[in-house]
Amino acid sequence: MNTKAQPMTSNDSLPPAPRAPSILSAYRSEMAIAIACIALLVGVGIFVPAALSAGNFANILQASAPLVIMSLGVLVVIITGGIDLSVGSIFSLTGMVTALAMANGFGDVSASLAGLGVGLVFGSINGALITLVGLAPFVVTLITYAVAASLAFIVTNGRSLGVDSPDYWLFNSGQIIPGLPNFVLFCLLFTVALEFVLRKVTAGRWFYSVGSSPMAAYLLGIPVKRTRFAAYVISGTMASFAGLLTVSYILNAEATAGASLMLQAIAAVVIGGASLSGGSGSAVGAVLGALMITIIQNGVNLIGINSFWQGSVTGLAILVAVLIDRFSHR
Amino acid sequence: MKKLMKALAIAAAVLVAQGAHAEDKKFTVAYIAPSLDIDYWQWVAHGVQQKAKDLGMNYVEYTSENSPAKQMDNARVAVTRGVNAVVIGPVSSTSTPPLLAYLAQQKVPVAFAGIGPQPGQTNYTSSVTANNYETGLAQGKYTCELAKERGGKEVGMLSLPQDRENAQKYLKGAKEAFQANGCELVQMLETKGLTINEAVTQANDLLTAHPNVKAIYGMYDQAGSGAAKALATRGLTGKVGVTVADGSPTTIQLLKDGAIQGIFFQEAVGQGIDATEQVYKALKGEKTTQNMALVMPLVKAADISSDAAKKVIARVFPQ
Amino acid sequence: MLDADLPLLSVRNLQKSFGATRVLRGVNFTVRAGQIHALLGGNGAGKSTMIRIMTGGIRKDDGEIMLGSQRGAEPKIAIVHQELALVQDLSVAENIAMVHATAGLTIVRAGQRAELAYNALALLDPHLARSALHRKAADLSMHEGQIVEIARALSIGADVLLLDEPTANLTAGETERLFAVLRRLVRETGIGIVFVSHRMKEIRQLCDVCTIIRDGLTVVDATPLDSLTDNDIMQQMGQPGAREVAHSRRRFDMAEAGLVLKGAEAVIPIHKGQILGLAGSPAGPSQVIALLNGTGRSSSWSLDAKGWPARPASPRDAVALGIGYVSGDRRHKGVLAQLPIVDNVLASRRVREKRYMVRASERRECLDLVHALKLKAGSIRDLPSTLSGGNQQKLLIARWLGMSLRLVVFEEPTRGVDIGTKRDIYDLIRRMAEEGTIVVWWSTENVELLELCDEILAFDTDGRVKGLLPHDRFNEDALADLTGMAA
Repeated sequence: MNTKAQPMTSNDSLPPAPRAPSILSAYRSEMAIAIACIALLVGVGIFVPAALSAGNFANILQASAPLVIMSLGVLVVIITGGIDLSVGSIFSLTGMVTALAMANGFGDVSASLAGLGVGLVFGSINGALITLVGLAPFVVTLITYAVAASLAFIVTNGRSLGVDSPDYWLFNSGQIIPGLPNFVLFCLLFTVALEFVLRKVTAGRWFYSVGSSPMAAYLLGIPVKRTRFAAYVISGTMASFAGLLTVSYILNAEATAGASLMLQAIAAVVIGGASLSGGSGSAVGAVLGALMITIIQNGVNLIGINSFWQGSVTGLAILVAVLIDRFSHR
Repeated sequence: MKKLMKALAIAAAVLVAQGAHAEDKKFTVAYIAPSLDIDYWQWVAHGVQQKAKDLGMNYVEYTSENSPAKQMDNARVAVTRGVNAVVIGPVSSTSTPPLLAYLAQQKVPVAFAGIGPQPGQTNYTSSVTANNYETGLAQGKYTCELAKERGGKEVGMLSLPQDRENAQKYLKGAKEAFQANGCELVQMLETKGLTINEAVTQANDLLTAHPNVKAIYGMYDQAGSGAAKALATRGLTGKVGVTVADGSPTTIQLLKDGAIQGIFFQEAVGQGIDATEQVYKALKGEKTTQNMALVMPLVKAADISSDAAKKVIARVFPQ
Repeated sequence: MLDADLPLLSVRNLQKSFGATRVLRGVNFTVRAGQIHALLGGNGAGKSTMIRIMTGGIRKDDGEIMLGSQRGAEPKIAIVHQELALVQDLSVAENIAMVHATAGLTIVRAGQRAELAYNALALLDPHLARSALHRKAADLSMHEGQIVEIARALSIGADVLLLDEPTANLTAGETERLFAVLRRLVRETGIGIVFVSHRMKEIRQLCDVCTIIRDGLTVVDATPLDSLTDNDIMQQMGQPGAREVAHSRRRFDMAEAGLVLKGAEAVIPIHKGQILGLAGSPAGPSQVIALLNGTGRSSSWSLDAKGWPARPASPRDAVALGIGYVSGDRRHKGVLAQLPIVDNVLASRRVREKRYMVRASERRECLDLVHALKLKAGSIRDLPSTLSGGNQQKLLIARWLGMSLRLVVFEEPTRGVDIGTKRDIYDLIRRMAEEGTIVVWWSTENVELLELCDEILAFDTDGRVKGLLPHDRFNEDALADLTGMAA
C-alpha cells in the first residue's frame, strides 16, 4: 500500500515498536483465576491435608469434566452476546435418550449419536428462533429449557435408567492415551480446539464481533445470523456431550441430572472473565471458572461445611472475579 | 311463572336422577403426588392404582409440583370433579392443615402415603408412612456392624437435606444406633440435587477427607448408587460397606453385585396399597387405622433371591 | 446579588492520567456569567476528559473545580450531548419532569408535571411549549429535541450549560433558531454557555470568547474571539492550517464506465475514481447509502453496473462485490468496541478476501496501516476505546485502505472530528479515488463536499433529489439553497 511520507505536525508521533505479545499479558485475567484456584486448594489443604492428594485432584477433575465441557459451549453463546438457559435440560434429556436407546437394543455408538442429536436439534431450534424469527435469546432458551426438561421426564415417565452395556464406561473412564483418562482428554481437546478457533480462526473472531457490536459486524459483511446460529448449535451439542460423559461415568441416566448445571455453567463463564453483554471471554477462562466452582464444592465437602453454603461461596467467587475483572481493566 | 317453576322442577329432577346415577357408579380415588419426577411417588401411584382396581374404584392422579398452593388447587379440583376419597403424598407435613380442614369440610376421607400430616392434626383417615426413626436405628446398627466387620468404627453419611422431617428422624435414629454400638459418624454430607452424579462427588470427597471410613450410610437411593460408584473407582468395593434406604432396580442390582451390603426398603407400592385400603374402608364405614408407621424391612445381599425378599420388593416398586 | 467578578465555573490546574498516559496536565478554564464560551481542542487534546470530570463522570487526579452560583442555590453544570438523551417513549412533559422526581416513588400529578414542563420550555420557545408538551419524544424533530433537552437542563437550575456539538444534526434554519434562543437565554438569565464545536463559522457567529486546549494544557485561556484569526486558532490547536487545496481536479476517465445510479428522479453515471458527494439532510442520502451497503432492500434506488446485481442483497454481498462502507456513527455502525485494534482493522479484509484463519502476517499488515494513517495508538492489541474519536474514525477508514475496492461509501465520516483529523480524512478519501475507487460521500457539511467532490447530488429535507451539481457549477450558496442546509 501507499506509505509515502505525509507532512507531519509536531505532536504526531509514530506508534511505538510492536510489543511482543507474551502469553502472560494475553492471559492476564486467566492467570489470576488460576492463582485463585490454587489458593483455594491450598486453603482447604490447611484444614484437610488430603485435599492436596493426587486422588483428590482426580476427583476434582472427574467432577468438573461435564461442567467444563458445558461451560465451553455456553461461553461461545455468551461471547455472541446471547445466553443459553437450555443446556441443563439438554444435558438431562441427552442422558435419557441415550439410555433409552440402549435399553431398546441400540449399540453404544448409535445410542450416543442419538443423544448428541438432542443437543444438535435443540441447539438448532434455539438458533433458528433467535436468528430467523428474531426472538430474544433469554426467552427462546427459557422455552427450550422447559420443553427439554419436561421431555426428559416424559421419555421414561420420570424414571431413572441404568445402562447395562458392559463397555460404555470406557467412553468416560477409559484411556485412549495411556495414563490420561478420557474425560481429561476430552476436556483438554475441547479447550485447546475452542481456544484456537476463538483466537485464530476468522469465524471465531466473528463470535466476538457479533457480540461486541452486531450492527457494525453486519455492516462489515460478517454473517451475523449464521454466526449466532452456530453458537447455539455448539452450545447445545457441547451440553449433550457433557451429558453423555456423565451417563458413561455413572452408568445411569436421570431426568434431573443437569438441573443444577445451567447456572453453574453460566457462573463458570462469568468467573472466567466473559461479560454477559458479549464480546469477551476465553475458553481457558471458562475452564478455570468451572474448575473453581468444582474446587469450592470439593472444599466445602472436605472441610465439612454444610453443603448449602456452596451457593453462597460460589456467589462470592463470582463477585470477586467480576470485581477483579472490572478493576484490572481500569 | 308456572312455566318457570315447571322448568325448574324438571331441572331438579334431572339433577337428582343424575346424582342417583352417580351413586350407582364406582367410587373414585384421587392420588395427589407432591411431584411425579421422583420414582418414589410414581411407585406409590402404582400401588394406589393397583389397589383401586382390585377394589373396583376409579383412579385419577394429580401432581402438586412441590407447591403447597398447587396441592390445594388439586384438592379443590378433585372435590369439584366428584372424587370420593383422596390419597395424598403431601408437599410437606406443614402444608397439610388447611388441606385437611378443607377435605374434612367436604367430608372426603383422606389417607397419607409416604409423608404424614403435621403433628397435632387428627382430622384424617389414615397416615401410612415409613417409620423413619426406627429405620434410622436399624440402618445405623447394621451400618455400624459393617464397619466393625471391616475393622473400623468410622462411618460416613450421605444424607437427604436436613430441613426435611424424615431426614431428621433417620439421622436421630442412626446417631443413637452409632453411639450404642460404638461407631463414630465422622461426616455427614447433604444432597441438593438428589442425583447420582452429585452423590458420587460427595462420596469421593467424604472418602478423601476421611480415609478411615469403613461404612457409608446412604439415606436415599441415589446416595447408595453414588457411594457404590465412588468405591468402585477407588477399588474399595466391599472393603467399605454401603447401606441404603429406599431401594430401586438400580440399587437392587448393586446389592446383587456386592457393591451394596444392605437395602432398607421403603415400600412405596405398599404405602399406596395400604392408604387406598384405608380410605375404601372409611367409605364403607368400616374401622380404619389412623397411624400406620411401617418399619422398613432390610434385605441383605445373601437373601436377595429368597421368597421373603421377593415379597418385600413387590411392595416397593412395580414389577 | 450579582457579583460579576465571581466566575460561574473555574477550573484550575486540572490533572488526570489513564494508566501511563497523562491526558490532562494542568488545564485552566473559566466561564463567567453572561458569556458564550467556545471550548476548542483537537481530538485527544483532553477536552472530553475535562468535561467528564466536570460533570462527575470520572474523578480528577489533581487540581480544583470551583463553582460560583448567581442564584444562591447549589450551583450546577448541565450538559447536552450531540446525541439526544430523551426517553423516546415518554412525552415531552414527562421527560422534563423526570429530572425533578428525585425519589423514585414520588407521584407527580399530570397537571403539576405539565406546568413544570411548560415553564421550562416557555423560556426557550413559547410556541413549542404550547404545542409539544404531550407529544412523545420520538416524534420530535432533532431541533425540537435539542430545545427540550436544553429546557430540561435549565429547569434544574443550571448556571453553566455545556453544549457538545449541538448543531451536528441541525439544518441551517434550525441552527439559526437555536443560536437566537441561546443568545436570548444568556442575555435574560445571566447563565454561562460553553459551546463545543468543530465548525469555525458557527463559533464565530455565536461565541464571545474561546479557550483552546492542546495536549492536556490550556494554550488559549478565555480570549475574545475577535482578537484571533482562524489561522491563529488552528495553529494554537496544533492543527495544520487549511492546506492548499489542489483545485486542479484529477482526471478520471470519462470513457471508463464505472456504474450508473438509477433513482426515481435521476439517473447518475459515476466513473472510476470519481468522488460523488451527497448533500442534504439524512432522508435522501440514506436511501442511496442503503442501496450501496446492502441494507436497503426497499430502496427506491438501483444500480446498473457490469457484473453487478441491481442491488446488493446484504452487506455481506456488498463487501463481496467490492463495496466498502465507513460510517461516522462509530459507536453503532463502525467500531467493534470489545475487539482489539488489529481485529477492527482486519475484519473487512477477512471477509472480503475470504481468509479463514487469522494470519500471523496480519500484525504486520495492521501496523503498516496504523503507521500510514498516523494513528496515535499504544498497541494494536489495545481496545479502540483507548483512541480518540478522530483516530477511531481513521481506524474505520483503514479497514478499506489499499484493498481492491470498486466503490467506497462514506456516511458523514467527519462527524465530531477535529479539523486536523478532517484534513487527514480528506487526504484518505482523495487517495482512494486516485487509486481508481469510486467514492460516494454523504456529508452535512456542504463546505467539505464542495472542496473535494467532482459532482454533488443535492437532496432537500424531504429526501427528494434537487439537482446534480457538476464541478464547474460548485457554489456554496447554490448548494445551501438546494439542500436547505448551511455549514
